[in-house]
Amino acid sequence: MEIRVKCRCGEDECSEWAIVELQGVVETQASFEGSIQNLEIGRLCHTESSQETYTFTVGYHELIGSKVTLKKPLLVLKKLQLDDEVSGKTTELEVVGIIRTKILFKTRPKPLISGTN
Amino acid sequence: MAERIGGADAVIDLKPGSSIPISYHPSFGPHDDLLLLEADDNLVSDIFNQRVTLRGLPDEDAVLCTKSKTFAIKFVGNSNSMFLIPPSSSDDDTNINNRQLVSVLKISPGNMELVEVSPRLDKLKQLLLANPFGAAEVDAMMDDNDDDNNEKKGVKLYTWSDLVNTVQASDEELSVGLQSLSAVEIDGYWRVIDENYLDVILRMLLHNCVLNYWSFDDLDEDEVVSALVADEFPSKLASHCLRVFASRVNSNGTGKWKLEPRLVCLHFARLVLRDEKMRLESFMEEWKKKIPDGMEGRFEMLEGEVLTETIGIETRVYTFSVRSLPSTPAERFSILFKHRSKWEWKDLEPYLRDLHVPRLSMEGLLLKYTRRAQPKADAPPVFSAR
Repeated sequence: MEIRVKCRCGEDECSEWAIVELQGVVETQASFEGSIQNLEIGRLCHTESSQETYTFTVGYHELIGSKVTLKKPLLVLKKLQLDDEVSGKTTELEVVGIIRTKILFKTRPKPLISGTN
Repeated sequence: MAERIGGADAVIDLKPGSSIPISYHPSFGPHDDLLLLEADDNLVSDIFNQRVTLRGLPDEDAVLCTKSKTFAIKFVGNSNSMFLIPPSSSDDDTNINNRQLVSVLKISPGNMELVEVSPRLDKLKQLLLANPFGAAEVDAMMDDNDDDNNEKKGVKLYTWSDLVNTVQASDEELSVGLQSLSAVEIDGYWRVIDENYLDVILRMLLHNCVLNYWSFDDLDEDEVVSALVADEFPSKLASHCLRVFASRVNSNGTGKWKLEPRLVCLHFARLVLRDEKMRLESFMEEWKKKIPDGMEGRFEMLEGEVLTETIGIETRVYTFSVRSLPSTPAERFSILFKHRSKWEWKDLEPYLRDLHVPRLSMEGLLLKYTRRAQPKADAPPVFSAR
């Protein structure tokens, strides 16, 4: 079996995706379980400073991180299962995006004391 | 109001002093059909030039092949939460009242990594050696009414496309594999030629050399093929015989070949020995009788193809060809040490020469798979299984 890795765009036009990465798991309150689509997670801020730092505020926590250029880019592939009259079930792989950088949060969350907002 | 959902660019271009909210995408979910593949710049370029494929049978782990290399695919999990944010998509291109939404489509559990591996060519050997092309088929080939002879017998033959779909190797590695088996394409199928039949063609070629006063070092392909066709050999196999036992004189396509004494002598050595162990003296005698006049057979030509064992005062020789051994290092060393528990380097080396493992040198291979011992300072070192 041979599956060709396809892409409809060239390298320069390939759309760039983004990754925000943090340690641990973001939990949703029980009342929202099952329908979290469209729910706001938090706020990403690129700090105004000489350093390339970012903050991500989720609920009462603030994370501090930075933008990292990936040593090896990540390609976003989409797996398609097709049912063809002629060739039966076939699988295709298509490149739908590329990721060159990510915003990585490595610190433990800093709890924000209420009253600052 | 146009809403741009996705918003990867908003994250990437986020200016210092700015902030944006991040939400779950309207279609947030597992999206198991979306995979992340780590790829270095060369691979990225190959992929965008449509040169990358996944190969393997349904019951095998798929490998990724570029034009010349083969990679195993490993999934590496990430315990961090990786929020995957797609690029913006919108129905409306206008920038008026543009509300930027950055949304997470999926939390990726990890990504796939590629590890370069040796091509799995043992399967190619197995598939082609199951049905070598021999004299019987030649007769059928010459008889035009018998085109589906093989299909009638239920014999499985392989086209290039069949091989690509069955053997886990890149196109270039597959070609090299076919060349090392001296395979030839007949009627669209890749075949190895039965050794007995090859012997018949070779002897006819040598016979014609004598008859026509041809020099072994300056054979003309057209003349050779005409003579063999006149003797009722298919022209394709006549040409193939040159490719197996000779090399081109110069590469500008003059069609001149020179017979390689080592390959011709090796062929006759194998014919003499067959499956037996012969006394060395008897072998040398029989072998010299078979070698054509004008060629000299030296025992060194047979390294990697025969082994000797000395019992008492008698030395016996037998066929033990590197080409019959597995191409993967673990299996290769296993068979070698099962055959003989201790090897000196001069005997072992010819059986390891063709092993090419990514990221591992010969020293590395020996370190990994063998134990080296030197019983006496003036005796050569000896290798055994680890």
